[in-house]
Amino acid sequence: MRIAVAVKQILDPEGITVNRRRERIFINREERIINPADKCALEAALRLKDAHGAEVIALSLGRPSADDALREALALGADQAVLISDKALAGIDAPTAAVVLARAIERLAPCDLVLVGQTAADTGGDQTAGRLAELLGLPQVLHAVTLSLDGERLKVVRLWDGRPIMVAVAPPALIAVSPLAPPARYPHGARILNAYRQMGVSVWTAGDLGFTAEELRPNIESRGQVFPPERELGNVIEGAPEQMAGEILALLRQRRLI
Amino acid sequence: MDFSLNEDQRMFVKMFEDFCANEVAPLAQETDHKEKPPLKQLEAASEQGFLGAIFPEKYDGAELDMISYALLMEHLGKACASTALTINVHVALVGSAILRHGTEEQKEELLPAMSAGEVIGAFALSESGAGSDAAALRTSAVCQGDRYILRGSKTWVTNAGIGQLLLVFARTSDEPGGKGISAFLVDVDTPGVRVGYREKTMGLRGLVANTVYFDGTEVPADRLLGQEGQGFAIALEALDLSRVGLSAICLGAAEAALENGTRFAVEHEQFGGPIALKQAIQNFIADSRAEVEAMRHLVHYAAWLAEQGDSRLRTQAAITKLICSEYAMRIANRMLQVHGGYGYMKEYAIERIYRDLRAMEIAEGTSQILRFLIARDQFAPHGISLRP
Amino acid sequence: MDFTLPKEYELLRRMIRDFARQEVAPLAKRIDIEEEVPREIIRKAAELGMMGVPFPQEYGGMGAGELGYCILMEEIGRVCTSTATVIGAHTGIGAMAIYLDGTPEQKKKYLTPLARGEKIAAFALTEANAGSDAAAIRTRAVRDGDDFILTGSKMFITNGPIADIVSVMAVTDPSLGPRGGITAFIVEMDWKGCSVGKVEDKMGIRGSGTSELVFDEVRVPKENILGQFGAGFVTFMKTLDVGRVSLGAACLGGAQAALERSIQWAKARSQFGKAIVHNQSIQWMIANMATEIEALRSLVYRTAWMVDTGQPFTRYAAMCKLYGSEVASRCISQAVQIYGALGYSRDLEIERMFRDARIAEIFEGTNEIQRIVIASDIMRQEGVRISP
Repeated sequence: MRIAVAVKQILDPEGITVNRRRERIFINREERIINPADKCALEAALRLKDAHGAEVIALSLGRPSADDALREALALGADQAVLISDKALAGIDAPTAAVVLARAIERLAPCDLVLVGQTAADTGGDQTAGRLAELLGLPQVLHAVTLSLDGERLKVVRLWDGRPIMVAVAPPALIAVSPLAPPARYPHGARILNAYRQMGVSVWTAGDLGFTAEELRPNIESRGQVFPPERELGNVIEGAPEQMAGEILALLRQRRLI
Repeated sequence: MDFSLNEDQRMFVKMFEDFCANEVAPLAQETDHKEKPPLKQLEAASEQGFLGAIFPEKYDGAELDMISYALLMEHLGKACASTALTINVHVALVGSAILRHGTEEQKEELLPAMSAGEVIGAFALSESGAGSDAAALRTSAVCQGDRYILRGSKTWVTNAGIGQLLLVFARTSDEPGGKGISAFLVDVDTPGVRVGYREKTMGLRGLVANTVYFDGTEVPADRLLGQEGQGFAIALEALDLSRVGLSAICLGAAEAALENGTRFAVEHEQFGGPIALKQAIQNFIADSRAEVEAMRHLVHYAAWLAEQGDSRLRTQAAITKLICSEYAMRIANRMLQVHGGYGYMKEYAIERIYRDLRAMEIAEGTSQILRFLIARDQFAPHGISLRP
Repeated sequence: MDFTLPKEYELLRRMIRDFARQEVAPLAKRIDIEEEVPREIIRKAAELGMMGVPFPQEYGGMGAGELGYCILMEEIGRVCTSTATVIGAHTGIGAMAIYLDGTPEQKKKYLTPLARGEKIAAFALTEANAGSDAAAIRTRAVRDGDDFILTGSKMFITNGPIADIVSVMAVTDPSLGPRGGITAFIVEMDWKGCSVGKVEDKMGIRGSGTSELVFDEVRVPKENILGQFGAGFVTFMKTLDVGRVSLGAACLGGAQAALERSIQWAKARSQFGKAIVHNQSIQWMIANMATEIEALRSLVYRTAWMVDTGQPFTRYAAMCKLYGSEVASRCISQAVQIYGALGYSRDLEIERMFRDARIAEIFEGTNEIQRIVIASDIMRQEGVRISP
């Protein structure tokens, strides 16, 4: 089995504060990490590898620093790593990114499974899974938490409105793994060193994937950012239970909610 | 100027030495290791009149002068800081406040019982949001006719778990600073008083300090100590005296550390001779001895000021406690170092003394607050009135 | 000059920090109270290579050198000194002796299971009257055919109660003294005659077992001589040198943790109507801590670099241990002060950190010995030989 896992390197959200009043985002600590959901996807792939044997290929579309994310994937147990990085790819939008990723995955063909994180913790886009599945012509399962092989079929426990349900799918397929899935293991220290000292990351440029500048032109133009309006604070009702119940009832009636 | 002890004081010293050697020192390790309240020691102390050390004889007290009291605390501190501090809170914090501000009825009722050890006093000032900052006290006492209703909670109430009498500081009005605070004498068994969690501490493990809750506690108006609004002044005055006692305890503990360190340096051999022959060890010992002697003079001077009722005591008590607590910690640290690996083992008294002394830079006013008080006093004549 | 940490070490640090925070920190309080580092933690650490960080991968180690090992000790030292001590005594001195002076066969047989964490190592030098003074060692190893008969007892041995393999220093020729008369041996604790004696009750690092090891006519084959016969002094001096660097790193972690907690508390605690961080006394403490910590960090990592690049580092290793232990104690004591009474309470970890930190000024050669090492090294270059 050959599994491609797409991992995105993001700024650690814990190092960021959002200042609503000044409508600005402050970066207090610039530390780049693997997007948490992508790391869960990688772990899901590695668990399949542990149980059934598989070749796990991590690929990342991003700036050159994404090399570190891929080294981490190698340290965790990925067999190969591919970095798609090119000045021509800087600043591309989500639809185009999906096209680039799709072509890279085709180049890695045949892949039995394509794993991605459900959502990116930086942009919160939630687009990659659906777009990739469509471009690759694969069935998709979203919000997956655990994956297991049952003969030829892949059994996936996914979250449906917060509750787990089981679905089965025959590979090839695309699975989007929830950030609530089991977290990644700790990499062995020696593997961390070897990931940098002995293992390699292939670098593919836009040209390697056969893209022309025209194809990479953005579909979306960003004209600035505005903050959504702040929600008003709710009312706190205090008092004896009967009194509080009465007040709540009155409020609900007043707003014609009951 | 006369630096000698008078005949009484010399006799007392002999008595304190015997008492501590027989009744306190042998129990010190057990008191610490098992976190045992020093009840046996208190009982023995009451038989000697030490629980009413500075009370007049008519209240069954020993009527010691303050120098003698400091000598008592020094000897107790040398033997067991937990026991010493328990008694210092009972006598110097709670007892002295009653002695100075109580009505004749309050004194007649409480002081003889305190001297006899039937009633142990506990001091309830700190709150979770108010340590050094009295203006932040939130425990309230609302006057309703002939009684006050207390609500709130106090933390680190020393002796609450073994005591009968709580000296509680509560807010009776919203006047700023300390002016709205009054002092109350509250029996632990009053309905609405609950003695809660006993603090688990690094050292001073015989000490019993608890959180105490007041949930609508009714206190009769005749349990008000002093006047309404006088509470904060009462607390500060009591702290002046107890800081003298605490400093004496530091002195005693430092002397114990120095004795232990000296003995170890003489007995332990390395590189072919006792380590006492090494200059590094000699310097440790010399610095510690010099600091012990400086502490002794500070303690006796502060005690003398207290005895005279001299107003300079306020700042001098702060100075004495600051220096004594920091010197004592330093000395214990060096003497532990002299012991090497042995000093880290619970078998050796220095291990306990070191943990005990770390409290002194914090208890009854942190070193930082004391420095503030001293600086404020220093700048006051220059037209600068410092605020914390 | 390039002070950047190589990228693989950045990732290594992140992995170890995550491990320390998630797997060790939540158990630190329990480790102190129950006086044991759970075997489960050791097993998990071993699975990630953390029990053999500086050793080559061919012997089951991580291959991360002294730099990687210092990173490990800093990050573990940040959350639990007991765990850092167990790992440190195992890796930094116990197994280190075999790595530095073992034959390829000894490394294959002993270092490999130690580096993988399948077995636990200890280092046995200290005796009742011989710590830093090697000439006073009494444990004897007498030749008997191809074997040696080892008799004596070692004290204050970290990991003593759990060790499987111990590097033991013994006298093989009393007439020669430390130079030529002492030999190091690799001893398996399940051999006949080996036993664990008295287990010490300590002020801190209570999760790390310290005990006596008793050798009663233990038969040691000559293949287990570690290093040159008669050159045990050289073996243990070399080993202790390396161990001191990582001990400095563990102290760095402890100091850093104290600073971080102090900052958090100084922001959160309010007195006199403002967060206490707005007092200059507190700002000074934080600035001093941060400055000393940065100086220590530079010293430790530069020395690690010297070790990894094969430069002489004895003097600097002693400085790491000396300065590291003093910075850690000072920082943690200031953290106690900033926390006030809460810092003295066993409910918060500051109290444990304070007790734990104190040992670093003592073990692996007291700080007094480190000063002698540093001064001797300096003066040797001036043509002066110093005897302790």
